[in-house]
Amino acid sequence: MNRLYNSLEPRVMDDDMLKLAVGEQGPQEEAGLLARQEGILFKDVLSLQLDFQNILRIDNLWQFENLRKLQLDNNVIERIEGLEKLTHLVWLDLSFNNIEAIEGLDTLVNLEDLSLFNNRISKIDSLDALVKLQIIYLRQFKNLRALSLSGNPIAEAEDYNMFILAYLPDLVYLDSRHIDDHMKGLAELKHQFSIDELKHRENLIQARLEDEQARREELEEHKAAFVEHLNGPFLFDSMYAEDVEGNKLACLHGAGELLEAYKDKFVVICVNIFEYGLKQQEKRKVELDTFNECVQEAIQENQGQGKRRIAEFEEKHLLSLSAIRDESELSNLEKKIVECSKDISELFNTLMTLEMQLVEQLEETINMFERNIIDLVGLFIENVQSLMAQCRDLENHHHEKLLEIAISALEKMVKGELEEDLPDEVRALFVDKDTVVNAVGSSHDIHLLKIDNREDELVTRVNSWCTHLVDKIHKDEIMRNRRRVKEINQYIDHMQNELDNLECSDIID
Amino acid sequence: MEVLKEEEEGKEAAKQEAAAEAVAEPAAEPLEEGEMMQPQEVGRRGTIMTQEMLRDLEKKLLGIEITVPEKPSIITKDTIDISKLPCSYQSNTPEEEHLLEVADNFSRQYSHLCPDRVPLFLYPLNECEVPKFVSTTIRPTLMPYPELYNWDGCAQFVSDFLSMEPLPDPLKPPSHLYSSTTVLAYQKGNCFDFSTLLCSLLIGSGYDAYCVNGYGSQDLCLMDLTREPCPLTVKPKEALWEKEEAPPKKYAVRPPRDLTSRFEQEQERKRQEKIKAEEERRQREEEERLQEVDSTGTDPLHGLRVHSWVLVLSGKREVPESFFIDPFTARSYSPQDEHFLGIESLWNHKNYWINMQDCWNCCKDLIFDLGDPVKWEYLLLGTDKPRLSLVDEEDDTLSEDYDIENLGKEDEDKCFDMPHSWVEQLEISPEVFETRCPNGKKVIQYKKAKLEKWAPYLNSNGLVCCLSTYKDPECTKILEVKEWYQNREDMLELRHINKDTGLIVDYFKPGHPQALRVHSYTSMQPEMDRVMEFYKTVRVDGLIRREETPKTMTEYYERRPDFLSYRHVNFGPRVKKITMNSTESNPRTVLKITERFFRNPAKPADEDVAERVFLIMEERIQLRYHCRENHITASKREFLRRTEVDSKGNKIIMTPDMCSSFEVEPSEHTKKLLYQYETMMQLKKEEKLCRHQAWESELEVLEILKLREEEEEAHTLTISIYDTKRNEKSKEYREARERVMHEEHLQQVEAQLDYLAPFLAQLPPGEKLTRWQAVHVKEECLSDFKQRLIDKANLIQARFEKETQELQKKQQWYQENQVTLTAEDEDLYLSYCSQAMFRIRILEQRLNRHKEMAPLKYMALEEKLCKDPRLAELLKSFV
Repeated sequence: MNRLYNSLEPRVMDDDMLKLAVGEQGPQEEAGLLARQEGILFKDVLSLQLDFQNILRIDNLWQFENLRKLQLDNNVIERIEGLEKLTHLVWLDLSFNNIEAIEGLDTLVNLEDLSLFNNRISKIDSLDALVKLQIIYLRQFKNLRALSLSGNPIAEAEDYNMFILAYLPDLVYLDSRHIDDHMKGLAELKHQFSIDELKHRENLIQARLEDEQARREELEEHKAAFVEHLNGPFLFDSMYAEDVEGNKLACLHGAGELLEAYKDKFVVICVNIFEYGLKQQEKRKVELDTFNECVQEAIQENQGQGKRRIAEFEEKHLLSLSAIRDESELSNLEKKIVECSKDISELFNTLMTLEMQLVEQLEETINMFERNIIDLVGLFIENVQSLMAQCRDLENHHHEKLLEIAISALEKMVKGELEEDLPDEVRALFVDKDTVVNAVGSSHDIHLLKIDNREDELVTRVNSWCTHLVDKIHKDEIMRNRRRVKEINQYIDHMQNELDNLECSDIID
Repeated sequence: MEVLKEEEEGKEAAKQEAAAEAVAEPAAEPLEEGEMMQPQEVGRRGTIMTQEMLRDLEKKLLGIEITVPEKPSIITKDTIDISKLPCSYQSNTPEEEHLLEVADNFSRQYSHLCPDRVPLFLYPLNECEVPKFVSTTIRPTLMPYPELYNWDGCAQFVSDFLSMEPLPDPLKPPSHLYSSTTVLAYQKGNCFDFSTLLCSLLIGSGYDAYCVNGYGSQDLCLMDLTREPCPLTVKPKEALWEKEEAPPKKYAVRPPRDLTSRFEQEQERKRQEKIKAEEERRQREEEERLQEVDSTGTDPLHGLRVHSWVLVLSGKREVPESFFIDPFTARSYSPQDEHFLGIESLWNHKNYWINMQDCWNCCKDLIFDLGDPVKWEYLLLGTDKPRLSLVDEEDDTLSEDYDIENLGKEDEDKCFDMPHSWVEQLEISPEVFETRCPNGKKVIQYKKAKLEKWAPYLNSNGLVCCLSTYKDPECTKILEVKEWYQNREDMLELRHINKDTGLIVDYFKPGHPQALRVHSYTSMQPEMDRVMEFYKTVRVDGLIRREETPKTMTEYYERRPDFLSYRHVNFGPRVKKITMNSTESNPRTVLKITERFFRNPAKPADEDVAERVFLIMEERIQLRYHCRENHITASKREFLRRTEVDSKGNKIIMTPDMCSSFEVEPSEHTKKLLYQYETMMQLKKEEKLCRHQAWESELEVLEILKLREEEEEAHTLTISIYDTKRNEKSKEYREARERVMHEEHLQQVEAQLDYLAPFLAQLPPGEKLTRWQAVHVKEECLSDFKQRLIDKANLIQARFEKETQELQKKQQWYQENQVTLTAEDEDLYLSYCSQAMFRIRILEQRLNRHKEMAPLKYMALEEKLCKDPRLAELLKSFV
């Protein structure tokens, strides 16, 4: 023991110190011998005591992943840090240190008991905002039941008790004393207003988060159906977003109404696509669920059979093993051993047969499913394409109309009969026929391009989803098969080994 | 007697005359169809015409009744005290007379029309020798017992409550039909009494029930159940739960190809069938043979034996199908049953119907559509009985409608309602209801079985029912005995004794101190074959079943926090101990303990032990873990703890070969010696614990056996706190309360005692008192009270003096004769003296007390009088 109480030299938490501590606090007596033989891994340690070590800085603890209880009292620690990896920590003792702020505990979600007795957690003015934040910071630990803060400047504030009780209502022990309900009630009354405000704020944040989550989920769902953003004028709007000429032309007389009508029709088709997509998605989901269910059933049944076989075998095997042990005659012994190994190989055969049978069955089913899902996807694509074609028709129709209007406007302008006031940039289009036609044409092109893009995106995504799904199913099945074969082999090997060992030992005997 | 009868006849005749016109119409109505009408017309006119004819017929009728040979029934007239019966029993009301007229008329018409049928059973005599119409003998009653709300409960009660006696003449209905009150009082009756009582109860609780007069088989009429299997032995047919085959799912895998030969299967099946058929044939033959034996001696009177039973028609009380109830045995039969050979007539409390259908095929073809006048001839018109068959409804509707419109008024006039029953309210007291069977005991002989019933609390061990099953039809070799118990303190409900195997199974109701549910054993000695089952919710350790054989003990658990589900202990022979002080029990050596656990969802499968075997003799511990999901093999581990010391004498802590394990997914930390060492230490500890628990289980068995023996010995019965009759404690309490109440009542009466009443009574009533009168009354009252006090004092004084004098005399006598007295006399004298002294002392005390109290009492009275509202006003002003 080299505890240097008086030494002012701060020490560093290095490997040696940790190893020593672990060794001292690890298993004792016989178990300790064993442990020393083998060495203890830091990640197996559940509790660690590092008191009176003059530690200045918490460090080097990242290996203790499974630590539940950590004692760092009576050191000279100034900051809480380096505890991020200890997520399983339940019990943390940091009393008799020089800590000034409660911080660095964010990842310790399982914390139940926190002791900060005799530190320097300060008050500047009586419970000002900063100190309040310190306490509010502790609100995030839902499991925190025991807290000790006395011996800190913060505890000298007059309503320190009340304040903590009010803000940490789940606390059971404060400063090693049980909190009675009466005090809790008083504290609540006293700080009701601010707490309500706090709660309200927290609730709002929570609600916003939930809202966002819900919206995101909905979008995910639509994306899974490959029809996101089709339940409104999004596509239409995006068509006109980059279309400068189109927007300009909309100012023409008659073009506005035309555009409105066009938009209405277009959106109706989009919504159709959207709804159809959702419906198809539902269908695909049902299909997939049925498939999964059936496959699971088949696997379960097969597993059940396998387990039964193994259980039967083990029953018999145990008997024959003990018979072998008791047997003294060498010839009989050999006969029995041979019999036993025959049993093992027979078990191997049955298990493998079962597995092969399952593989065959599943293959057939998977192929059937593949066919069906591809059909479904094909149908979906076909229908979406036909709907998209309607969109294109609409666009073509609109284009023709717009062209007419534009040309008539040009003619009017040429004749100087145009009564409306057009912005200059629009006027710039109407220099000659070509320019106008080009402008209308380019707008049309952009629109068609957008529609095509959307369609392509949908088709590629649905196709890739389909191939991906089928691939995954195949791969999973292969993996399952490998795992099972490996398992069977392992088991059989073990059995055979056991038998061989028995043989050896018998012969030696 | 003779004269009386004649008088009655005369009366009847006179009434008949008066009512003749009105009666004849409705009575004849039902028969007025077709040509049958003519002859009646004549007959009816005849009755109206001459009184002689009427009397003639009357006599004829009486003659018919007299011809019924009266065999002495057990309830004879002498045993019934007629005089105490109410007058409705002893005479007929005018309505009843009227009804008898109608019935008489009807019966005459009937005998004219159907001369080959037996006379109707319409108005037998009651216990007072008064003819009463059968329908009025039915008294619908709803009993205040929940058991008597359903038909089966009613029937069971009637069959239990009454003891059966055969009909005086098995071929004819009885001449007398007693009221149900009399039958209930004497607990005896023939089939007609039975069915009348049952019918009353059933109609009272809302069933559409009818008394039937018909013909039954010999077994039925004589209540002979020896050819019937006991209903308690017949196992309820197991409802075949056809599992609904779910339609094959779309992606269900195809079953592996079946490679066995169809042909071989077919051959095998055929062979099996052949064997089965052979067996069946043999069985049938056997049965036939038995039946032949059974049916020897067929009844020569088959089809002629008169019987009465109850018909319950569908419709009311959710009865789906009509059925018969045999009141003797309380069994229900379908109308197709072979025991019921024919129906003559049937009636309820409203009407009477005659069966016009042929009964050549028992009752199998009868249609119970009482609204159909072709099939059932009714006596009274107007009682609603809608026709059920709709076959010829179509044709009739028009004409019927027409008829109804036209004749509605007339119908109303003609309608004649059945008079109210003459029988008094039926009452069954709770005591009698509980005792049930006459003397509380009943024995029924069934085919190869005997059933005995007792009233609760009749047997000191709580036995209420005992069913013995026999191997042979002669009932000599007992096969098994079932005993039902009630109100046992040890909650024993049923004991099932198998005489062949000697196995006894006790079933307990919830509430046994050891939570015992079933206990099956062959002997009460410990360490024998036995099975105990427990109520699992009661036991803290979750034990539900413990099986024992001489060498093993198996326990099954459920819902334990440590997920233990099964423990099997193998015992070796007992080690002889030298120490003689055997207060400590000497446990047997444990050879092997096997424990199984349910899956603990909180642990990963690789660390959750499924089975743990402690091979204590071999010093080995085997562990088998639960199977992981999607795996078929489970991890195993085996610990050897034999070698504690190595060859050099060093203590070995742990070596790799002490633990052999197979792991499905080998993980790093389980390979470590430290882990294995810790596991083994833990297991060692648990092994100790297991042995201790096994030992405790053994002790518990011993304890239960002891307790059971004590309980058997004591067989105390519990008495419900609601049982006011038997519960002594509550009885005492109630009596005490009544006493207190009584005293309170007395006090109240005293408090209400009006001191002034006698004095006020002297004054003229209804006038206000004057002041003078008030003063006078007060004075009078006080003086009277004073007088009484003085009188009382004098009385006490007188007694005191008398007592003293007597004592003195005695003393004198004693002193005179002291020399001659025997010791006995002296004793007598001394005891007398002490008693006399005691009396004198008491009197003295009383006198003193009286002297003390008298002035106080006087003052109290005065004050009371002053405050009396009647005098206060006047006296106040006076004061």
